[in-house]
Amino acid sequence: MVIVKRKQLSFSEKLYLPEILKGMSMTFRAMFKPRTTRQYPEEPLPVNEVTRGQPRLATNDEDGSIRCVSCGLCEAACPAYAITIDGQDTDRNAITIGGDVTEKFIEREPESFDIDMLRCILCGFCEEACPKDAIFMSDELELADFNRNDLIYGLDKLKRPVSQLRPRIDYIYKVNERWQAPSSTR
Amino acid sequence: MIKITVNGREVEADPTKPLIAACDDSGIDVPRYCYHPAMEPKGSCRICQVEVSEGGRPGRVMAACRTQVSEGMVVNTEADGAHDARRECLEFLLKNHPLDCPICDKAGECTLQDYSFQEQQAAGRTGEPRANLEKRVDLGDVIMLDQERCILCTRCVRFQEEVTKKPELTNAGLASNSYITTFAGRPLTGNYQGNLADVCPVGALTLKPFRFKARVWNLEKSSSTCAECSRGCSISVEVLRRGDVKRIRPVFNPDVNQWWMCDTGRFSFPEVNDPERLLGGLVANGADLMGSTTGEAIKHAASVLSTSGSKVLIASPFLTVEEAERVQPLAAAIGAELLFVSPDANDLKDDLLHTGDPCPNRKGLENAGFRGISPKDAADRVTGADAAVLVGERILKLLGGFDLGATKLVTFDTTACLASGVEACIATPFYVEKAGTWINVDGHEGELTIARPLPSSVSPLETSLEELTKTLSRTGASV
Ligand code: SF4
Ligand code: SF4
Ligand code: SF4
Ligand code: FES
Repeated sequence: MVIVKRKQLSFSEKLYLPEILKGMSMTFRAMFKPRTTRQYPEEPLPVNEVTRGQPRLATNDEDGSIRCVSCGLCEAACPAYAITIDGQDTDRNAITIGGDVTEKFIEREPESFDIDMLRCILCGFCEEACPKDAIFMSDELELADFNRNDLIYGLDKLKRPVSQLRPRIDYIYKVNERWQAPSSTR
Repeated sequence: MIKITVNGREVEADPTKPLIAACDDSGIDVPRYCYHPAMEPKGSCRICQVEVSEGGRPGRVMAACRTQVSEGMVVNTEADGAHDARRECLEFLLKNHPLDCPICDKAGECTLQDYSFQEQQAAGRTGEPRANLEKRVDLGDVIMLDQERCILCTRCVRFQEEVTKKPELTNAGLASNSYITTFAGRPLTGNYQGNLADVCPVGALTLKPFRFKARVWNLEKSSSTCAECSRGCSISVEVLRRGDVKRIRPVFNPDVNQWWMCDTGRFSFPEVNDPERLLGGLVANGADLMGSTTGEAIKHAASVLSTSGSKVLIASPFLTVEEAERVQPLAAAIGAELLFVSPDANDLKDDLLHTGDPCPNRKGLENAGFRGISPKDAADRVTGADAAVLVGERILKLLGGFDLGATKLVTFDTTACLASGVEACIATPFYVEKAGTWINVDGHEGELTIARPLPSSVSPLETSLEELTKTLSRTGASV
């Protein structure tokens, strides 16, 4: 057991008012000192490619088509069960990148792709699981709305052109290069 | 029976069967692609290689599916040589494999994935381009063929030759340009095409009705019994996110269906995914029907039944044995004969499984004292009585539309009957939502299990029937 002795207050402390004035003077002095905190939200957070913001789905710059083939690996990897995907058949043909046909058929694409942003914990497992370079953590961090349903993002809210995600994609490849050769579909 | 040693354990082996069957019987897993217990072993894939030594000679690596067992044989399925052989085999199989698992419906239950993972064999040593074959070959209404994914095990060809005895598929081309195709490119026919997707160990033959509908690891699988004929094949009902049934597959049952099922049963699942199903109940309110809870509908039904004269009760052939037991006291309470609708045999009957009789529990109902009558007879009896009770899944569909006349009708079905004269409709579960028993044409019991939760507004048929009987006896006593 520890016995804590109460501090004996001095006479001026007991008077209360001098201490208040002392405190106020500190406050007033700080007003004219340079600011040390960020003026959020007027001054947004700095972001860079290492920022692990909300996941977004990449669309090809060539034709705006979605890269995702609805394989469900991100859904399976998601520890927060935030992702729900339904697939469908598609007739969309091969994507061509830099003159090479990288795939014969896409065959399958998401009919719906929902991420419940309230469940998403921004862990980046989906990004890591994706075999098709289709989902990446963007630098978008802000999330506010008046009801929960609007925070379940569907395809319309998740699609981003690949060029916008490029710094993150390059960063991920750089990190992954440690154990795997960069793929040509990049 | 002879004795052999597998992985240091002495096991019994049937000398008429290959070594791989002996391993299966003793619970030792040997990889296989081309071997299927229902078909002649072919020995074309070589993944089943194990080390065998006979008569004290040093072990040799050989294909377990093409090796005859002999007394005193010593088998090691985990020998280094066996693993090396399997890894080499996998390297060859993967050489031309497109590896499009992300879009392949087999992913998750694909043995090519499993064995590559088990053997840690993914990389190949060649830079040759992969074979370029057809990726989407439409083989009719049921099957889609991806020739690139095919590993040429010819299980599909042998299934048709040996099981359905109606060959339509063949292995064409030579050596590395071999591929599976139908004779003259004609579409597949018959009622057993779905089994091709089951026997195919990879994603080369996939089901069109299941194409891209769900990832298999998201499906919740429950064992059940097929409802489409009196054979009662053992099936696995596979449900996505506690909602729709996405797939029905056969489950091995040596007494009933072996490994197979017909396409009628396999693709019958839209029946149980009916978005228009009745929830709760409906009770007559003047000329209209009004939504209610099952409890209210049952009360109303009881008051109607206790105030009308002659009554009939017609059961559906889909009732389980347990439900039939609850129908008996109800029939006794209203003084009705035990009858069930027994539609005419359909033309789906064949030599393999389908019996042509659409009543999954005919035996069970007959054992419980029910008598089968034709839908026409049933409709006549209904219109001839003052009040009628129709009980069981699909009963309204089986009877078809008919004019009720002055009859007051109470129905227990998954859908509502909206004809005038209907007094109460009480919602019931689909067969995938109940636990119970059906007895098939040969007297085998087929078990139903709850594959998806019952909506909260629907009560099990047993409960509803018991409640109606109880309410009737109370009102009967007070009259
Ligand atoms: S892992 Fe990638 S390709 Fe697969 S469903 Fe997710 S985003 Fe789509
Ligand atoms: S057959 Fe198997 S290994 Fe081949 S693409 Fe399909 S899931 Fe992948
Ligand atoms: S299609 Fe499937 S079952 Fe037929 S040979 Fe190819 S891999 Fe075997
Ligand atoms: S399973 Fe034995 S060779 Fe294919």
